[in-house]
Amino acid sequence: MVLVAPRPLPPAAPPGVTPPRRGGGREVLALLRGDSVARPRFDPGLAGGLRAWLEDAAYGFVAARGDAAPVFLGSRQVLGVTEGARVPDGVSDELVLARLVHALFRQLVCQGDLGDPLADALDALEALGEDDVVGHVAALPAAARAALSETVASHAGNLRDLVPRFAPGWMPRTDDRVAIPLAGGRVVLHGTFDLLVGLPQPGTASLCALGLSTSGPWARERRSLHFLALLETLRSGAPPFRLALLESATGRYGVEDVRDEHLRAIASHLAAWLAGDTGSRG
Amino acid sequence: MADGLTELLVAPLAGVDTPSWRGALADAKAMLARLAVRRAGSGPFRVTDHEVRAALSGDATGDAGWTPFAWSARTARRPLGLAAVRLLVAGGARSPVEAVRARLAESAAWVRNGNPCASQLDRWVAGLSDAGRSAVSAEAVTWTTRLWCALDWAALGPAPAIGRDRWWDSPHSALLALRGRAEVRTERANLVVLSGPRRETVRAELALVTLVDSLRSRDGTLPGRVVGWWPDSGRLVRVEPEPAVLTLGAEAVAQVLAGSGLPVPSAA
Repeated sequence: MVLVAPRPLPPAAPPGVTPPRRGGGREVLALLRGDSVARPRFDPGLAGGLRAWLEDAAYGFVAARGDAAPVFLGSRQVLGVTEGARVPDGVSDELVLARLVHALFRQLVCQGDLGDPLADALDALEALGEDDVVGHVAALPAAARAALSETVASHAGNLRDLVPRFAPGWMPRTDDRVAIPLAGGRVVLHGTFDLLVGLPQPGTASLCALGLSTSGPWARERRSLHFLALLETLRSGAPPFRLALLESATGRYGVEDVRDEHLRAIASHLAAWLAGDTGSRG
Repeated sequence: MADGLTELLVAPLAGVDTPSWRGALADAKAMLARLAVRRAGSGPFRVTDHEVRAALSGDATGDAGWTPFAWSARTARRPLGLAAVRLLVAGGARSPVEAVRARLAESAAWVRNGNPCASQLDRWVAGLSDAGRSAVSAEAVTWTTRLWCALDWAALGPAPAIGRDRWWDSPHSALLALRGRAEVRTERANLVVLSGPRRETVRAELALVTLVDSLRSRDGTLPGRVVGWWPDSGRLVRVEPEPAVLTLGAEAVAQVLAGSGLPVPSAA
């Protein structure tokens, strides 16, 4: 069941009027919490079936390629998601914005508040060793830096409203990486959850996943979350039971339950992509 | 996932043929003694799982590819995470978030008070802005949560050792030392958290843990099994304490010292 799909864009405030803040991600939190006794059920054999399907496709892909070197496939390759992707000559403006906003997202989850958005984001990226992004911003002319600062502040304002402040007992963890080897490790499906919450329970869908989108488009970002849900199913035997997508540019969000159909659809797309189906790779 | 991993850490060990084990251990010691003598005079050499992996996979970079170690949120997550898990196991915190916060607060207090316990890492963290420290905290919380949630800690028995790396210093040369890295040690097993892709060298990397424990043992006690675990994929690899594992470990060390990328014969 789709609970909110997605929240409509808020009407633009008249000039000089600050729109009211909803604040603290309470709406998203309430939707994630939902009804704990009505968790969706998943066939315990589903993970094995999906893996077998993808293994077949991956072996076919490897055989057709004729190269033993491992191939790493993320949402960028198989879904065409470009957010946060590096360009051949270094960093793009889109990448810089995505990394800065992502750093603020993690700070909100971890610490609950933000100071000066651009300064905080740069400090965080410096601590993470992302010197290329930090260097890119440092080299910007004053006007471009001011414009970037304004854009980042706008995203930060939306994040303050959107991002739930989780109690420690929810076990919030950011940037949880998943990598699923197929075909003896010659194909590796990988991705990173922006945020996972909940206690893993063997054989039960007990996690919620949140994705952050800085640039959209919405439909592709949603599919990217389905891709991650599939990877989690292959990793632990069960997908997250609920997904939330937060769009920092607009303040929109959507929350939905994960269903068998989502996993089958994305696995089908992957299998077709591995088989070289032109439409899937387009 | 959690059940299978915990079961491997508490399951009884299979018996081993004692004469074969002792013979393999004697052979390994003899091989290492020869290596130590050959190595003398060329500077200290510490062999870790990282060196084994690099040497056996042919990834060893020369001086041109060498970059000096620097603390970052990513290099700090394991030491901070281990301290946080230790705190959780001891009941000093109720969640990974609280445990990491407590560890970072401890760092700040040590540095502020000039406590001799303060390490280079503590001083680096204390020198960061709030936002920088938040990034460090986020990385450490994720690392901690993955390990904390992967195991049924109550089933591991009393006081599992968290993050106690073990060293063996060659008695034949102060210049050679081997490190066995494990994140969690129980009476019967050692859990090693792995990263990176699946690789052919992983059994040799884990064999180093068995080798170090065996070399350090004064009463000939059989070391525990070694369980390698990739949190990214949930995959496991187990190395039982067998004579062939000692041989594999010693040959891997020899390969590292030889600086060669040739495959270890025992790995075949």
